[in-house]
Amino acid sequence: MSDAAPHLRLERLTRHYAGAPAPAVDTISLDLPRGALLALLGPSGCGKTTTLRMIAGLERPDGGRILVGGQDVTALPPHRRQMGVVFQSYALFPHMTAAGNTAFGLEMRGLGRAERARRAQVALEMVGLGALAGRKPRQLSGGQQQRVALARALAIEPELLLLDEPLSALDAKLREGVRDEIRALQQRLGTTTVFVTHDQTEALAMADLVAVMDAGRVEQLAPPEEVFERPATRFVATFVGRAARLKGMLEPGGVLRCGGLALRSTADLAPGPAEAFLRPHRVRLLAPTEAPPPGFDNLLDATLARRVYTGEVIALETETGAGPVMAELHAGADEAWRGLAPGAPLRLAFRAADLAVFPAS
Amino acid sequence: MIGWLLAAPALAVLALAFVWPMAGLFRISLNRTTETGAMETALTTESYAKLLGDAFIRELVWNTLLLAGSSAAIAVALALPVALMVRAASPRWRGPLALMAIAPLLVSGTARLIGWMAILGDNGLINAVLMGLGLRDTPYPLINNWTGVRIGLIESLMPYAVLVLIAGLGRLDPRLEEAAATLGAGRLRTFLRVTLPLAAPALLAAWLLTLVLGISAFITPRLMGGGRVFVLATEIYDQALEYVDWPAASALAMLLLGGLLLLMLLRAAVARLGRQRA
Repeated sequence: MSDAAPHLRLERLTRHYAGAPAPAVDTISLDLPRGALLALLGPSGCGKTTTLRMIAGLERPDGGRILVGGQDVTALPPHRRQMGVVFQSYALFPHMTAAGNTAFGLEMRGLGRAERARRAQVALEMVGLGALAGRKPRQLSGGQQQRVALARALAIEPELLLLDEPLSALDAKLREGVRDEIRALQQRLGTTTVFVTHDQTEALAMADLVAVMDAGRVEQLAPPEEVFERPATRFVATFVGRAARLKGMLEPGGVLRCGGLALRSTADLAPGPAEAFLRPHRVRLLAPTEAPPPGFDNLLDATLARRVYTGEVIALETETGAGPVMAELHAGADEAWRGLAPGAPLRLAFRAADLAVFPAS
Repeated sequence: MIGWLLAAPALAVLALAFVWPMAGLFRISLNRTTETGAMETALTTESYAKLLGDAFIRELVWNTLLLAGSSAAIAVALALPVALMVRAASPRWRGPLALMAIAPLLVSGTARLIGWMAILGDNGLINAVLMGLGLRDTPYPLINNWTGVRIGLIESLMPYAVLVLIAGLGRLDPRLEEAAATLGAGRLRTFLRVTLPLAAPALLAAWLLTLVLGISAFITPRLMGGGRVFVLATEIYDQALEYVDWPAASALAMLLLGGLLLLMLLRAAVARLGRQRA
């Protein structure tokens, strides 16, 4: 098959639990190219895990189709699907060693004892656990268990690798390292992967494509930068990253009337009540009388309301005539900027394209 | 401290209704039975020595263990699918299903045995069907023998086995079976390689509990055996009320109690092992 054809295709996939008022997964359609990593990102209960479980065959869809490499697998039971699944709780078999766990899938495929021992060892070495092959899961740390689960899923050379919040049980320090390792391994093996997470940093750092989900629907399916910089819906703008919310009336030409001020935007919407989202890193801080740099169409006079030191950045919350706006300073900024106290006058500049405008709900 | 205070009434009842009579029983077991059959106050282990040296009692112990052991094993084997079904059910059905599985406990054991008699007897349901269909000319003996006792015992032990298994399997993460499925194991292989090994401690705990209940069962062997099946519990009854040899009956009761205590300790050890493994 050609590289252009999607490796995984979901067609109007739906799951409606009996007695639930709304579907857990609501007519989701998406295509995933071979070798890509897709992150399903959303709050708990948005249907991301249900979607993953349907791809794995652990849950039956009430509608729609799942195609892997062009083949309809919707009706196949999980043991015929060739999916490497890493569960949130890892689900390692407690009565088997790390090697036994890793070899289980190979045993089910009828491989001889020597061959599956060899391949299990290769898989364990791949995740850096070659020396602990004889340990039982309870003799391993959380991070090590997570690697065994990964080795077990990869040992069967799966069609797709499916990860359900694989990092959520690890402590924060470990998480970043394991995250980068999984990504490096996935890219080296070229395994098409679907990854469920509620952590936007994880999704943005790892994925080739991010599907932001809410209430059983995909709100936006795009590369990480696009999701972050050009949110397609209000939900994406609020769920991914921080943003100031400015309410106003949209006038023809993309002008947003907001608290007596006119802000320029690139919005192409019908005039009417609207909300605009502005990310802090898009806001340029200026001295009270400083002129805006070229291209910065919007200029706001502001007063510093609060200053939150978070280490790498200093978050500034300001009051403007259009409403509260967030800005941020790099911790390496000039002393004059870092020393700003609440009440200090400021000027904020941003481009028309930096405002993400949506009709007010 | 407050715990002890709250437990005091129950402890008092226990002391009065269990510990005190047991102590009395132990005291009687040390008395002597004279040639005429009368009981004579003494401090002797004669009754114990006589019982332990008696070939009939040894056979009785063996028969009892065989009956209770096999009945418990079959009861556990039959209870496993029931417990698995309750576990697999959706949360709203789990309660009602579990209740149904243990519902026999709500009916008096004697009433259930009389029901069995109506089914298994020579003129009972099963033999009536067998003979009505011409499959047999004479009734198949399903009662007043070991078969009858075993059937009655299995049925009465099953609810306990189901209860223990539901509790034990509840700790078994269903994700493990899902993981096995994603790795290519079908239902049977998932059951044999994952569910069964992990259920082993629960199965053993259920077997030991039903074994203890089976060994001490009295009504079932008495009613279903029709006086032709002899086990330890019926022998104690016979010694006490037929032969009026109280020291012998008490000694036998003490030996039985000791054996059961040993089994209960074993069960606790197994439960501890199971928790460590999980």
